[in-house]
Amino acid sequence: MTLAMRDRTAIAGIGQSEYGRFLPASQLKLGATALKAALDDAGLEREDIDGIAIHLGWPLGVDYDRVAETYGLDLRWVSQTWLHGRFVTSAIQQAAMAVACGLANVVACFTAISFTRERQILGGPGDAEGTREEGGTHGESPPYGLTAPAGGAAIAMQRYMVQYGATSEQLAAVPIAFRKHALKSPHAVMKQPLTLAGHQAARMVVDPLRLYDCSLITDGAAVALITSAARARDLKQPPVYICGMQGMRSGREEFIFAPRGLGINQQRPGRWKPEERDLLAYRMAGIERKDIAGLYTYDAFSPLVLFVLERFGFCGQGEAASWVQNGRIELGGELPMNTSGGLLSEAHVGGWNSILEIVRQLRGTAGERQISGARHLQWATAWGDSVVFRS
Amino acid sequence: MKPLPRITPDSKPFWEGLRARKLVLPYCTDCGKPHLPPGPVCPWCFTDHIEWRPASGRGRISTWTVVHKAWFPAFAADIPYNVVQVELDEGPRLTANVVGLPNERLAIGLPVVIEFDELTADLTLPRFRPAASPAS
Repeated sequence: MTLAMRDRTAIAGIGQSEYGRFLPASQLKLGATALKAALDDAGLEREDIDGIAIHLGWPLGVDYDRVAETYGLDLRWVSQTWLHGRFVTSAIQQAAMAVACGLANVVACFTAISFTRERQILGGPGDAEGTREEGGTHGESPPYGLTAPAGGAAIAMQRYMVQYGATSEQLAAVPIAFRKHALKSPHAVMKQPLTLAGHQAARMVVDPLRLYDCSLITDGAAVALITSAARARDLKQPPVYICGMQGMRSGREEFIFAPRGLGINQQRPGRWKPEERDLLAYRMAGIERKDIAGLYTYDAFSPLVLFVLERFGFCGQGEAASWVQNGRIELGGELPMNTSGGLLSEAHVGGWNSILEIVRQLRGTAGERQISGARHLQWATAWGDSVVFRS
Repeated sequence: MKPLPRITPDSKPFWEGLRARKLVLPYCTDCGKPHLPPGPVCPWCFTDHIEWRPASGRGRISTWTVVHKAWFPAFAADIPYNVVQVELDEGPRLTANVVGLPNERLAIGLPVVIEFDELTADLTLPRFRPAASPAS
């Protein structure tokens, strides 16, 4: 059964709006631009879309029914995740499984957000989630003023630094690498280089996270069209196959922004390394970790980049801060990551800007960012889920 | 206005204890373990044999942060302020803050003891202070 989803489905088209801050267009307008571009890219018609997977729905983004009625879609399968960015994998997996099971022919994975108009929802007085009966999901504790997702990444990194001797200077290698990548992306919001001195001089936001350790707050939309592998082969673009996947981990030993075993919230501290069940995506894809030519992750905060490397065993527990030094995660390095700049430097489109980048890379159309010979690329997160793509 | 804790049917005894200046934890009478946050069942046994028992109010800082950004206007005047997780001597961790300690001296492993902050007649918020120093 672990092979059930190997190469059954593919991304057949991608599209996006411009990425920017304080864009005047509505979320639905940004989304329409992205959806039209994806259809053009794939050589599909609007009428071909019969399923939609909405990432970042209420209360931040748009909901499936509003999208369908606005664009004149006639859907027979929908899925929607709420506020959080963590559901990129979930959306892709659900779309792929819906297609593989015959519940839909073409599913649009759809994200459209105007963070700059909705920012008080993220840890501010408009954050209904943090003050609901069961509270927020990143360790928020509103009575004490810990109200934003950044706080969760901060308490994890603080403990990680003491536990393993990691430093803010080491952490800076992550945003510096992604800024270099962003400077090569025409879509990137950040246009200036970032130096170690610049990283260290930037204001502290939530100790130990400095300004450039935190995601951009931007507006934009991105769409990826998922269909069956057979259909994708008949369309305009070379298919980007979804060849391996695994789900998000959750439980008492997990904290969304911490590696297992760190000791945040109710995690037991202790030694941990990935086991077979933590690496299912490689087995399903029929590859080994060393076959991955580039890794893409949800870099809302720079520690999450360290944590995903340990989660998938690219390095050992507590080793990631040293591992990312000396250009290792930069283009030309051993494991290029987030080659268009990620959330930290390209734009925060809920991670979908990196999914679009994976597709460009595997089509060989990433221009000066191209990873030469890239055949397998991986989307994976600090919370343990993943999708492996191949050309 | 700063947000108050959201008291739920599961956490009500916890907050009632604090009003009486007592830290109480939900213990499973089957396995004997306490858990946080308060839930309707033991997370290990999945039974609802829960009994609230007094805790020592002592623990150590297991992680901390200092907030420098005003996400919430009501906290703007407090910046920079700390938030900590305290690993109670009984095991579970509680998020709170530490008073009577400069932020520069926050440290993982620092022993702390509970302090009861009577915010209103109905609500007492647990905070912590360094165990070695006199009450602030």
